[in-house]
Amino acid sequence: MHDRLKALAEAARAEIGAAQTPQQLEALKGRFLGKKGELSAVLGAMGTLAPEERKAVGEVANAVKGELEGLLGRAQARLEEAALEEALKGPKLDVTLPGRAVFFGRRHPVSQTLEDIVRVFSRLGFDVYSGPEIELDWYNFEALNVPADHPARDMQDTFYVEAGWLPKGVGPVVLRTHTSPVQIRTMLAHKPPLRGVMPGRVYRKDSDQTHTPMFHQVEGLLVDEAVTFAELKGTLAAFARAFFGASTKTRFRPSFFPFTEPSAEVDVSCVFCGGKGCRVCKHTGWLEVLGSGMVHPNVFAHAGYDASKVTGFAFGMGVERLAMLRYGIDDLRTMFENDARFLAQF
Amino acid sequence: MRISLKWLSDYVQLPGSVDELAGRLTMAGLEIEGIERPGEALDGVVVAQIVASDKHPNADKLSVTKIDRGTGAPLQVVCGAKNYRVGDKVPLATVGTRLPNGVEIKQAALRGVDSSGMLCSAKELGLSEESSGLLILEPTARVGQPIARALGLDDVVFTVNVTPNRADALSHLGIAREVATLFNVPLKKPAVTLTESGTEAKSKIDVRIEDAERCWRYAARVIEGVTVKPSPQWMQDRLKAAGMRGINNLVDITNYVLLEYGQPLHAFDLDRIAGASIVVRRAKGGERLTTLDGKARELHADDLLICDASAPLVLAGVMGGASSEVTEKTTRVLLECAAFQPTTVRRSSKRHGLHTESSHRFERGTDLQVVPEVIDRAAALIVELGGGTVLAGRVDVFPTPKAPRQVMLRTKKVADVLGVTVPASDCQRILASLGFRKLSGDDVQATFEVPSVRVDVSIEEDLIEEIARVRGFDAIPEALPRGLSELESERPSHRVERLVRAALAGQGVDEVVNYSFVSPAELAAFEAGADAIAVENPLSVEQSVMRTTLFPSLVQNVIRAARHQAEGVRFYEWARTYRPDTSGGQGTVPVAKETLEVAGVVWGLRHGARTWTAKDAEGDYFDVKAIVGAVLRALHLEGATYEAFEAPWYHPRSATLLRKGAVVLGTLGELHPKVARRLDAPAGVVLFQLDVEKLQEAAVLVPQAKPLSKFPVVRRDLAVVVAAEMQSDAVRKVILEVGQPLVEDAQVFDVYAGHQVGFGRKNLAFGLRYRSPERTLTDAEVTEAHTKIVAEVTRRLGGELRT
Repeated sequence: MHDRLKALAEAARAEIGAAQTPQQLEALKGRFLGKKGELSAVLGAMGTLAPEERKAVGEVANAVKGELEGLLGRAQARLEEAALEEALKGPKLDVTLPGRAVFFGRRHPVSQTLEDIVRVFSRLGFDVYSGPEIELDWYNFEALNVPADHPARDMQDTFYVEAGWLPKGVGPVVLRTHTSPVQIRTMLAHKPPLRGVMPGRVYRKDSDQTHTPMFHQVEGLLVDEAVTFAELKGTLAAFARAFFGASTKTRFRPSFFPFTEPSAEVDVSCVFCGGKGCRVCKHTGWLEVLGSGMVHPNVFAHAGYDASKVTGFAFGMGVERLAMLRYGIDDLRTMFENDARFLAQF
Repeated sequence: MRISLKWLSDYVQLPGSVDELAGRLTMAGLEIEGIERPGEALDGVVVAQIVASDKHPNADKLSVTKIDRGTGAPLQVVCGAKNYRVGDKVPLATVGTRLPNGVEIKQAALRGVDSSGMLCSAKELGLSEESSGLLILEPTARVGQPIARALGLDDVVFTVNVTPNRADALSHLGIAREVATLFNVPLKKPAVTLTESGTEAKSKIDVRIEDAERCWRYAARVIEGVTVKPSPQWMQDRLKAAGMRGINNLVDITNYVLLEYGQPLHAFDLDRIAGASIVVRRAKGGERLTTLDGKARELHADDLLICDASAPLVLAGVMGGASSEVTEKTTRVLLECAAFQPTTVRRSSKRHGLHTESSHRFERGTDLQVVPEVIDRAAALIVELGGGTVLAGRVDVFPTPKAPRQVMLRTKKVADVLGVTVPASDCQRILASLGFRKLSGDDVQATFEVPSVRVDVSIEEDLIEEIARVRGFDAIPEALPRGLSELESERPSHRVERLVRAALAGQGVDEVVNYSFVSPAELAAFEAGADAIAVENPLSVEQSVMRTTLFPSLVQNVIRAARHQAEGVRFYEWARTYRPDTSGGQGTVPVAKETLEVAGVVWGLRHGARTWTAKDAEGDYFDVKAIVGAVLRALHLEGATYEAFEAPWYHPRSATLLRKGAVVLGTLGELHPKVARRLDAPAGVVLFQLDVEKLQEAAVLVPQAKPLSKFPVVRRDLAVVVAAEMQSDAVRKVILEVGQPLVEDAQVFDVYAGHQVGFGRKNLAFGLRYRSPERTLTDAEVTEAHTKIVAEVTRRLGGELRT
């Protein structure tokens, strides 16, 4: 009996040690330790032994069983390790293949620029307000000190709207030519002090390389006691530095807008040549980027503010113009063609 | 409007520098949009006299001339024209001159005869479209004088953008007034001397205003015995510089004075006015008028008309009528100088689609007080240039003369609006120089009389604007409104963070936030953390060392997800890693090296669960590569390369280093199976890690637009069998290099390894896009390029074409 166990253990050690695959190990496990395996066969014959002898053989048999189980486990680990090592040495992935195709959407350059403009003013403490695009002539012109039959109306070619649903006497109705009517609506809805920017779409009857019938503006308005032109300059200079870069210079030129007095065009040092003069700035070193001024007393009167108590400044800028300067886009119309190749660039 | 500086200098001493003048005007609100120097192109061309002319010895059509150009010996010039006589003065382009048509004049021999220059035609000088022969100059032209000077082209012409409020600046005198103020020099108005005859004008013409609301003033003068003829050259030159055309002396004078004063005038043939009377009234039903442009117009009851006893003559303020216009036969002239309600003129102008120099000024408002001066000026010019006599007196109907406006100015209000204190004396000096007369007041407040030409000024803010613009807006400081503080513009790092996070969210990657400290065992499992910074008094050993990599935490996130039966996750974390810095802690230097990273993990089903559209699709290395690619795209970071490297925590088959040039941006790869086993992590974990600072350095935050080709794409596919271990990018590089400039892009669309291509080989299929920015490509040239690419790919990479 002892000899049989000893022989069994020896054979098992050799065969397990030589096993090359998990399948072989599995077969060896069955052969030696299975219910019908060799060890069971040996133990099955124990009934013929004397009790004291049976106990001694049992101890040996258990020892053999334990040893074989340990051997099988270690062999299992060895084979797994070998398989892993083999795999780690295996062929490499082609890491230069493109990543899995995914959708990657971008925002339109106008939308990105508009967001950036608004962000700068948000950082300066301006709220965001909005107003309708289909607008009464009164808000778009009259309240902004542009009476009917005034030459200032030539500054903006207007689309009129057939507003047949309105009661008689309400109108005329226009597609707003600028975001300035939102100034009036905002002032009518909020008491001073007021600090806001008003972004949105505007419309003018014009279409060529530098004009589209629809474009975007951001209007700004700050009203409080004793607001000065110096503060208008300071605020817009801060905007220009934030938007175009810290070294940007600004220049304020007297101009005319019916709704401000004094009025100023704001030029920034050319973003392409740094002010030395180039094709884009027509060799002046300056780029005109926005219009501004101190709110005209007539505008305050229309908006229900007391011009003897408050002053304010307003400004407006064309978003497309800034986007074109920022991204080096030279034809405004491409903005609205929405060519997929164009959109994918921003 | 166009302003001739030559003309302007009649009224005011101009500064030496044209650019300085333009700059000051622009900065005072009269933007100079353009500066033209019409004579500039004619530098090198001078007045010369032909002193002799002989036949060319070798060419019948040519002559050999001797030319006096004022200095030195006569020049010999060969000439092809025939339209001259000896003694004529002609333009000579001297050697070295470049003519407007681009021809450069060189010392040359023409058919064997030396020629030192070229005699020019008007066309060659760019002065006309056509010309036959030389431009023969006036006999009075001075030999040797630059031709631009002789032709009156030695001028500088400004294009001034006059805003709608500045009606006063729509004239040469208006601009001169501004220059006088800005440069503090005197304004010289034209001297008008008029000799009147004994006959009273009012005996020849009767003027009646029927609509005084629309016609504010109407003045007339009568000039008899006038000869209509072309106006002199100087006047035509000036009109041309200002953008108008010479017609005859009478019309030219009205235009000239309009451009001089900004006040429109009209000249009638008095003999064509019925009943010797002028009536200013609105149109009656059914009335028609043929205007000077030859159009017969239906009039509207709102149109204001200048009529005679029987019919309309003029659409008031807009355009004259054909029936009463001056002709070469005219001898008796009725000169009109009037003022109309601006809105009336504007409505008529809009209604009839007629925008004229006259309507442009009337609708902005004209100076009511200047009317007598202007009509006298025009009458004097008519006598000067057309002869005749001016009848005595003006017939001047001025129903309700308006008192000058008065506006009060408080010195404190100036400071309140502008934000800078301007002394009362400065305010008063500036206003005085602009013609505002101080009526009363002191340094606290004063009342000013508005000059009649400044129709735009009516309130205190208007005066403040005048003061501000004459001082210059540059003289106003910059300040921030109370309560605002200038924040720095969004830092590039914030922008990068915003863009990267948006890209990750867009790729369906959730953000996780893990503790910065982990267990030493976790780091050890990654074979990292030997130098990790330990916390002295940790809450537990699990939270006792500062992370040197974000991966252990991300793998723990996956383990937890798997334990809770998640089937797939995509996570990222935005955080720092920490390492000791032996030079840290000195002064303000941080004690440790803290590196901001963004790292992420993909594990399990790509969509987090089984979906009917993508059953059991497991995320893998190429999902992580797509996420990394999206981050790079969001930052417009092009040209980054992916290459194999080794790291203990990445599977050797997929460990990838991401670089842009020499800069390592990050790494990606599958989690090493041994690390996974140590951590008891599930299989299929793929990781990436990017250095935020390096990303920021390489990012392009403001991409510049590229032009789009208008021409179509031609697509061709290329399938090639190469060694299994060959990287697809090596093939792609060859395609792009050999295919340039026609191959716009080449993308792998299929990879196949299997028995069909043989052991150790694989098939790569590329889609090529051929396109030219300049033209539509022909089939033949695409085929040729494609063949060349195939040949090079197979030659260089040992590939074989798959058919």
